[in-house]
Amino acid sequence: MATEITLAPDLWDATVNPEGIVANWFFQEGASVGKGATVAEIMVEKTTIDIVAPAAGRLHISVAKDGVVKPGAVIGTIEEG
Amino acid sequence: MSSNRIMTVSRAISEAIAQEMRADPRVFVMGEDIAKYGGIFGSTAGLLAEFGEERVRDTPISETGFIGAGVGAAMSGMRPIVELMFVDFFGVCMDSIYNLAAKNIYFSGGHYKVPMVIMTATGGGYSDAGQHSQTLHATFAHLPGLKVVAPSNAYDAKGLMISAIRDDSPVVFMFHKGLQGLAWMASPEAAATELPEEAYTVPFGEAKVVRPGKDVTIVTLSMMVHRALEAAKALEKEGIDAEVIDLRTLVPLDRKTVIQSVAKTGRLVVVDEDYKSFGLTAEILASVVEEDPAYLKAAPRRLAVPDVPIPYSRPMEQFVLPDAETIAAAVRGTLGKAREAA
Repeated sequence: MATEITLAPDLWDATVNPEGIVANWFFQEGASVGKGATVAEIMVEKTTIDIVAPAAGRLHISVAKDGVVKPGAVIGTIEEG
Repeated sequence: MSSNRIMTVSRAISEAIAQEMRADPRVFVMGEDIAKYGGIFGSTAGLLAEFGEERVRDTPISETGFIGAGVGAAMSGMRPIVELMFVDFFGVCMDSIYNLAAKNIYFSGGHYKVPMVIMTATGGGYSDAGQHSQTLHATFAHLPGLKVVAPSNAYDAKGLMISAIRDDSPVVFMFHKGLQGLAWMASPEAAATELPEEAYTVPFGEAKVVRPGKDVTIVTLSMMVHRALEAAKALEKEGIDAEVIDLRTLVPLDRKTVIQSVAKTGRLVVVDEDYKSFGLTAEILASVVEEDPAYLKAAPRRLAVPDVPIPYSRPMEQFVLPDAETIAAAVRGTLGKAREAA
């Protein structure tokens, strides 16, 4: 089963800053991650927001570093099992 | 938690500080914008939330005051980490650094210790002008009583920070802004590394051969390690096998590793993002020649900022900073190859 890594729709106020970017991934594609591990950070203006793994499993990155994202975006998935 | 994570330098530093703060109640942090903001280059991110404002203290814009307070706290038994936001700002607080922190162990005949870390941001390359872009490695390394470290990657940053906090002497911890892995400033990919979860130390005075080679020795540190590795990669295609040494600490300086390498290769290029004259590049050359001038088969080369303030203008700044092309050209020069003038 795959769990999506979704940015919360209210992660930041999109009426003020419509877009953010994926600033860093802290694991490589295919890495095994624990639930709750900080897997990525999003930058909005000069503020960064940590994104944690919603499940344990194998990480698949769908928005690469420096990719532009909006609240609610799916930036990757975690393949469980 | 897994240890296959690839962490940035800024996160490595803040993790090192957090782990030492958990282990030792004497450790605390102060400086401008280090608490609520988490440090303008991210080195203290997350600390306020975990440790509170008694141990993570935002200060007024008065380096003279809070660096002096750090020296007093250290001599009274605390282990402060004090951030000087940009190393370029040292002018207003230098008395606290070089007459108090650096000398009080000596002046007291060893009765007082000064276990203080002065953490500071260095380096240019991003058009921040002459009073925000210097490294000033040699300015601090020149003064007896200070230890000086300048890591090139996250693994070393964490281990050197833990060593710095545990050291009973004042340590100037110089992190390069362009290596921090900040979202708003480009960073070489290799600066972020796998980072063990547990606390560990990287000892002072041990340089690291980051790329073994037989034809020429490139000695450098901090950001320029990445530029040197890029040059070495380009030179490999021309059949030139360069050894790259990351000094990691300026004081103590691992002259032995440098000398051993030059004894093997016979050729030396020293690269520093600091000013050229009276600096690290000359110190390295002198260390080799004092040992045995016969090690060198060719005149050594030095690459550093050519004794001018760092320009704000992007093309001018890029011109004065060493880069992979100028490093490769200098290496070719030691080998008597053409195309030295890049």
